Amino acid sequence: MKITEIQIKNFGKLHNINIRPLPGINVIYGENETGKSTLQQFIRGMLFGIEKQRGRAGKNDSYQQYEPWNSNSYYAGGLRFTVDGKPFLLERNFYHKEKSVKLVNEKDLEELSVEHGDLEMLLGGMSKETYENTFCISQACVETKKEFADVLQNYFVNASLGGDGGVNLSGARRRLKEGQKAADQKYREKVQERKEEEERLLLEEKLLKKDIEQLKKQQKDGYKSFLEKNQNLIPPEPDINQMAEYLRNIRQQREQQKYDRRFGISLFFMTVGLLLGIWNCAAHLFSNPAPGWIGLEVFTVILCLVGIGGVYYWHRRSKQLKILRRKQEEETKELMQYTSREREQQRYKEQQEKQARQRAVEEMLQIQLLEKQAELMNLREELEECRVLTPEELEYEHQVRAYELAYHTLEQLSQEAYQDTRAQMEQEISRILSELTNGKYTKIGLDAQMNLVTTEGKRRLHPWQLSQGTMEQMYMALRMGAGGFFTREESMPILLDEVFVSFDEKRLEGALQWLGKQKQQIFLFTCQKREMEILERNGIPFGKIMLSR
Amino acid sequence: MKFIHIADIHLGVKPDKDKPWGKERETHSWKAFTEVITKAREEQVQLLLIAGDLFHRQPLLRDLKEVNYQFSRIPKTQVVMIAGNHDHLSPNSYFRTFSWGENVHFLKEERMDTVELQSLRVRVYGLSYWHRELREHLYDNLQVKRDEYANILLGHGGDEKHIPFRTSELEMKGFDYVAMGHIHKPMELAADKVIMAGALQPVDCNDTGEHGYFMGELEGHVCNVKFYPLRYCEYVSLNLKVSKDVATGELKEVIAEQIKKSPAYQLFKVNLTGFSDPEAPLDLEALTGMERVVQVIDNCRPDYDLEKLQAQFDQQIIGRYIAALEKLPQNEITKRALYYGVEALLAE
Repeated sequence: MKITEIQIKNFGKLHNINIRPLPGINVIYGENETGKSTLQQFIRGMLFGIEKQRGRAGKNDSYQQYEPWNSNSYYAGGLRFTVDGKPFLLERNFYHKEKSVKLVNEKDLEELSVEHGDLEMLLGGMSKETYENTFCISQACVETKKEFADVLQNYFVNASLGGDGGVNLSGARRRLKEGQKAADQKYREKVQERKEEEERLLLEEKLLKKDIEQLKKQQKDGYKSFLEKNQNLIPPEPDINQMAEYLRNIRQQREQQKYDRRFGISLFFMTVGLLLGIWNCAAHLFSNPAPGWIGLEVFTVILCLVGIGGVYYWHRRSKQLKILRRKQEEETKELMQYTSREREQQRYKEQQEKQARQRAVEEMLQIQLLEKQAELMNLREELEECRVLTPEELEYEHQVRAYELAYHTLEQLSQEAYQDTRAQMEQEISRILSELTNGKYTKIGLDAQMNLVTTEGKRRLHPWQLSQGTMEQMYMALRMGAGGFFTREESMPILLDEVFVSFDEKRLEGALQWLGKQKQQIFLFTCQKREMEILERNGIPFGKIMLSR
Repeated sequence: MKFIHIADIHLGVKPDKDKPWGKERETHSWKAFTEVITKAREEQVQLLLIAGDLFHRQPLLRDLKEVNYQFSRIPKTQVVMIAGNHDHLSPNSYFRTFSWGENVHFLKEERMDTVELQSLRVRVYGLSYWHRELREHLYDNLQVKRDEYANILLGHGGDEKHIPFRTSELEMKGFDYVAMGHIHKPMELAADKVIMAGALQPVDCNDTGEHGYFMGELEGHVCNVKFYPLRYCEYVSLNLKVSKDVATGELKEVIAEQIKKSPAYQLFKVNLTGFSDPEAPLDLEALTGMERVVQVIDNCRPDYDLEKLQAQFDQQIIGRYIAALEKLPQNEITKRALYYGVEALLAE
């Protein structure tokens, strides 16, 4: 493609400018702020269009950047170019409300359809993205962008496999990665569910183990305390009321003493009365009785009678009491004998009961223990079953692994496939670099991630490890070399916006000499005169386009 | 002599735990067992053979008591049983020491043992599992006594890890009847002679088809058995061939209709075959959530004509991709990877 006429109607700061560039090198010279970058952007915009982005994202987009200064609704231009010798006119209205594009074959005046890809065809299928990463170098942007790695890979694969360019490798890979992620997510969810169940079972197992421990401990000593506790509940043995007996005994002893004392007194009275009566009787029988003898006699008789009565009465009482006490004593003894026998019997019975109870408790504990142990065993089996992947998990695991396999196979295949093409491209880039650097760097390549690498001696170097000028030379070589591959059918104009700023005289000369040999149309935007001087010095023909404020 | 042969009752098993009908399914093993006992009483069956795995796991005392009670309901029936791999006799189990009713004969030895039932003129050979696995070919070298007694082998096993045996060899041994258990699918390995009773009721959804017990007559040395299904639950495979233009909702309707037509005790395993639309895959989770659907297996293949694709994109990445994956040993993963890759490449 050769641009034959640039018609800027209204674009950024540029209005009504008509430029007719030469098919070879065109140097667009202008001081700062004369619209060099605007011109470059115009060409790009004409070829690929400018989309106005919505909202905040559109704040700094190209649309607004190059919106005409004087009027925002008149935003248009045209481009005349030849492809394969056929002349075309492309006209665009960039204004977003009246966006339009018109492409006419000027030879037979046939109007072509941009929507249906006629322009794309004329551009040799090159996308805006690819163009901006190869022949179109913006100011201070010689480095290629990240997405260019994908572009290159896709190109390699499609080019080397001779397809119609339909396969988007990075897109396919992204799809596979997404699929893998989704399957992995589901797999994890299912695993999590199972883990929760496992946790629950583990907790149950822990509780069961604790129960078993406790049962074992109880078996060792627990039932004793259980039995002892029960013993305390047995009421105390019924006994004779010893206190009452003791008190009764004391009381009866005192009574006995009282009776004995009174018996003594009565005996004394009786004896005194008797002696007195005998003495009185004898004295009076043999001598003359004194007056009142009879009275004394009566008194002694009474005394005697009272004594006899007392003796008889108290003796009887005392004897009765004695009998009573003996009887009571016997009764008590009998009672005591009886209770001790009964107690023995009861104690024996209790011991029997205790043993039976102990046996029952032991048995119960044993049963419980065995039951718990069986439960534990069952639980462990359940746990084991729970640890096996469920069919669903297996399914998702298969999916994840299948996605992985697909991804890696694709990766491997594409790498294998593009080795040849890549080698060719590396050769081409290396050749360009060698020319640009006058043979200083002769070998440059691309690593698996499509990053540039070069070797100096035995060291592998990435561009950022080198000087700015050298780095730019390398990217220049990559862009031009790769661009050549992308435009085998139809070349595209090379747009270089202040690309050589950090090149010294020697490098610049090398670069311009290389450019001079190219068949493509070249637009060199610069604010310095040295490019023109070197071109003149080397006898390289070029067109001069001066921009002024 | 009339007898019933059951196996793999798996008392206490809890199938379909995470399904709404899981609670109901828990009761089936006991219900089916009780029904067999009732049947034995009604039919005046003289011998009940239980060929292992009466319990799903180690039985607890209450389970043993309950089973013993059930046996006590048929005092005139002699019950002979062995322990299988699921309810193997562990040292801690009450199963080992439990005292059964008079009519129950538990062959709990680890080596081949016999019980002679004088009243029936029957001798039953059998052994119990003491471990979860038993790989020895214990039924291979059996000597069968030849007298007026009928000889029955009560066995459990039939796969690699559980007493492997060959039907033809067992047939030659001279048993009048071989009552086997362990494999859950009921099978007449040799007609009226070597019978795999199958699980009394399905234990999980992989036990598709009918399940029940065998009842028969053994007169002298002549045996006749017949299979009697029990229908507390039955898993049915529902194979559906889908095509690219079948949507999930449509498929759901078809399945629902099919299920509606079938008896209530049936639960369904949906197996999808055919071709699916790679752009709009079927919503399997929606199908799995349907009433009476236990499982959905997706064996659909995306609707790609691989041969055609390979021819069309012979030397391009798609063609090479198909060739590369077809070269790999074919399994579930490589098959899927093939479709995933083709799908991704074509979609872009």
